[in-house]
Amino acid sequence: MSTQIRKPFDLVVAVPFAATLVLILVGSVFYPQMLGLDYLSQQLQIAAFLGVIAMGATIVILLGHIDLSVPWVLGGAALISTTLAGTGDPTLTMLAIPAALGFGALIGCLNAVGVVILRIPSMVWTLAMNSILLGSSVLYTGGFNPKGEASGLMSFVATGRVLGVPMAFVLWMGVALVLALVLHRTGFGRYLSAIGYNEKATYLSGVSTPSVLFAAFAIAGVCSALGGVLLAGYANQAYQSMGDPYLLPTIAAVVIGGTSILGGSGGLVGTIGGVFFITLLNSVLSVMQISEAWRNITFGLIILVMLLIQTLRRKEG
Amino acid sequence: MTPNDPPIVRLKGVTKRYGATCALNDVDFACHPGEIHAVLGENGAGKSTLMKIISGVIPPTEGAIYLDGTETTLASPRDAVARGLVCMFQELSLVPDLSVRENLLLGAPGSGLGRLPKTAIARAQQVLAQIDGRHISMRARVADLSLAERQQVEIAKALARNPRLLILDEATSALNASVVDKVFDLIRAESARGVGVLFISHRFHEIEALADKISVFRNGSHVDTFANGAHDYSAIIGKMVGQRIDDLFPPKSPADPDAETVLQLEGFGWGEALQDVNITLRKGSIVGLGGLDGQGQAHVLHGLFGVLKNTSGRIVLEGRDLALSSPKQAKQPDIGIALLPEDRKTEALVLQQSIRANMQLAALGTDGVRASDPALYQPYLDALELKYATLDQPVGQLSGGNQQKVALTKWLALKPRCLLLADPTRGIDVKTKTQIYGLLRQLADAGTAILLLSTDYEEFIHLCDETHIFYDGRVVRHLQGDEVTANNILSAALNMPATEMGAEVAHA
Repeated sequence: MSTQIRKPFDLVVAVPFAATLVLILVGSVFYPQMLGLDYLSQQLQIAAFLGVIAMGATIVILLGHIDLSVPWVLGGAALISTTLAGTGDPTLTMLAIPAALGFGALIGCLNAVGVVILRIPSMVWTLAMNSILLGSSVLYTGGFNPKGEASGLMSFVATGRVLGVPMAFVLWMGVALVLALVLHRTGFGRYLSAIGYNEKATYLSGVSTPSVLFAAFAIAGVCSALGGVLLAGYANQAYQSMGDPYLLPTIAAVVIGGTSILGGSGGLVGTIGGVFFITLLNSVLSVMQISEAWRNITFGLIILVMLLIQTLRRKEG
Repeated sequence: MTPNDPPIVRLKGVTKRYGATCALNDVDFACHPGEIHAVLGENGAGKSTLMKIISGVIPPTEGAIYLDGTETTLASPRDAVARGLVCMFQELSLVPDLSVRENLLLGAPGSGLGRLPKTAIARAQQVLAQIDGRHISMRARVADLSLAERQQVEIAKALARNPRLLILDEATSALNASVVDKVFDLIRAESARGVGVLFISHRFHEIEALADKISVFRNGSHVDTFANGAHDYSAIIGKMVGQRIDDLFPPKSPADPDAETVLQLEGFGWGEALQDVNITLRKGSIVGLGGLDGQGQAHVLHGLFGVLKNTSGRIVLEGRDLALSSPKQAKQPDIGIALLPEDRKTEALVLQQSIRANMQLAALGTDGVRASDPALYQPYLDALELKYATLDQPVGQLSGGNQQKVALTKWLALKPRCLLLADPTRGIDVKTKTQIYGLLRQLADAGTAILLLSTDYEEFIHLCDETHIFYDGRVVRHLQGDEVTANNILSAALNMPATEMGAEVAHA
């Protein structure tokens, strides 16, 4: 059943891609190596970590909700997978990735319980969930960096290459493709956007809105967990606060990609552009030896500017 | 008061567009000092847009506004009030959580940064006293007032601002006749002092009693302006509608009391709010649900659509007991119940999405229906003559009547066995009404069982085959055939005993 609606090509989706291109071209004037294959393929690999997480975040934001539990779902998944793989037991090592993803799905469902059944704003509920996960992991590790290591498979998907293309990037594109198919081939994408605009009318159209919300938060949880598995594979360990630098850039990537923070309009393709832009900007800023503090300020400003543009566009419309 | 005075306000070539929709089209309009000017038109004719432009709420897309002969731009409602253009809007503009006194002072001339002029209060109290509002305490919270009392406060608030032009948009819709008379006396007194009055009302006798001049709008254009009394009712309606509508309602088919039962409610209830309701819905009949607002009739529709939890009693559909838990379940073809909700904008449609997306939303997830098939929708779009640019147009750009057509089409596409309608013609223009009535009768004749909640008793008399009147969560009267009269409906709605005469006629 194809339910896709043909729309005139929306320029908003092209903006982050164009901005990325400009960033590369301008950057290459000062640092010619930016046009090199090595640099670009390394950027694709780094972008994939953020990209996988941002796919899930896009789905939740389309609903008009937000998932602030990203950092510690990511951290928790990294902890679980490296702990299991660190035992050296072949069965447990095999279970490392599925267990981590299952953990993400579980937390996603718990997020949905708060939002759907208890009717607590997602911003508050998922933030509280993040805090609970943080506390739990400190209790478990005693506040030290946990022992453990990545399994071979984890290292391969995070750092491996297939025909020169980073495996992590292939995985990200795979996730994006599967989600895009689910969104467009079933009613799921339509439900997400309809709920984002008007949940009541969608429910009264005979849509099981609770199931849609549960599925969306679960998908977001799995995506964050997959991000954690990739990062743990990349670093060959889990460490405290490894997810913290990912929350703001995730939201920034979704918003830069043209998805409305209020829900309803937007999509995965724009977010992919947003992820490229954020990753390259981060890289350019660090090559230019701009401090972490200024990078944070830059991301905050970019989000504000994008929100401002969205607001102005809504007023015009 | 001579025609040579420059008009208080004059619009020249004013056009207002919202996206592709043109709400006002090249309108010339003027209101002179001392003139009571009635503005008539169907919903969507552009009256409210006109008033919003004159009171500074929205700027015109094209054209000019002249105040006392000088071209002016109205920057904001505050700017308009400062220039003496005071509007009392249809949507009441009082802040519910503030007291009457605080509301009267909000935005009063000369107020600001904590300075609240006391003179406004005195004037407002005087006005309230004149229109039977003496009992309204200045300290009462607006939220605790009745709709009529709020309208009285609105009127007092507007007059306390010393308007030069007073705009009344359906200002008296909730007031009873004796209060309306007093409001009119007040308006006449204001007009004698040289204040211009713009007056929107749907009650013809009020316009006849009050207006000096009448302007008719249709589809965003100014059709005609003439002196009160120059045309009779039917000529005025002809101008409003653009064509004469002889029969608002389609002819009724003779009701068949032995027709197959589609749906039966037995002792149906929901907590305290709805108790012991028994309704039988037969193939081909339209059954009305009436009563004052909020007497439980809406719960019947919601209960039948699976929205309510923990209902009591039985719902029997074609011989089998149903336990409904969600709208998703209710819409499946093995049950086939559809609900057109009461509020188009928040419950029936996703305004930001396209016509197509809205129509498909109910069909998506219904077993055995291919939502993307345009053939599902086209017959109903044709029957209802939906006016649209493309199906990709956001529904929010359509007029109220056309929005309702989309909402109806969305459900009719599923070919429901049982169609539940919550006041489907509220706030809709006459032409769309006739189209909806005609379609409902056709559907009934084709075998759809229809349950119609309405606030317009004409619909019970002319469209429904039988009617249940609700009071305090129960059915207090079941009216059929000749019993369905305006008198019986109203007395039942107020839970008064049937009038002797009505009863006699019914049993004669």
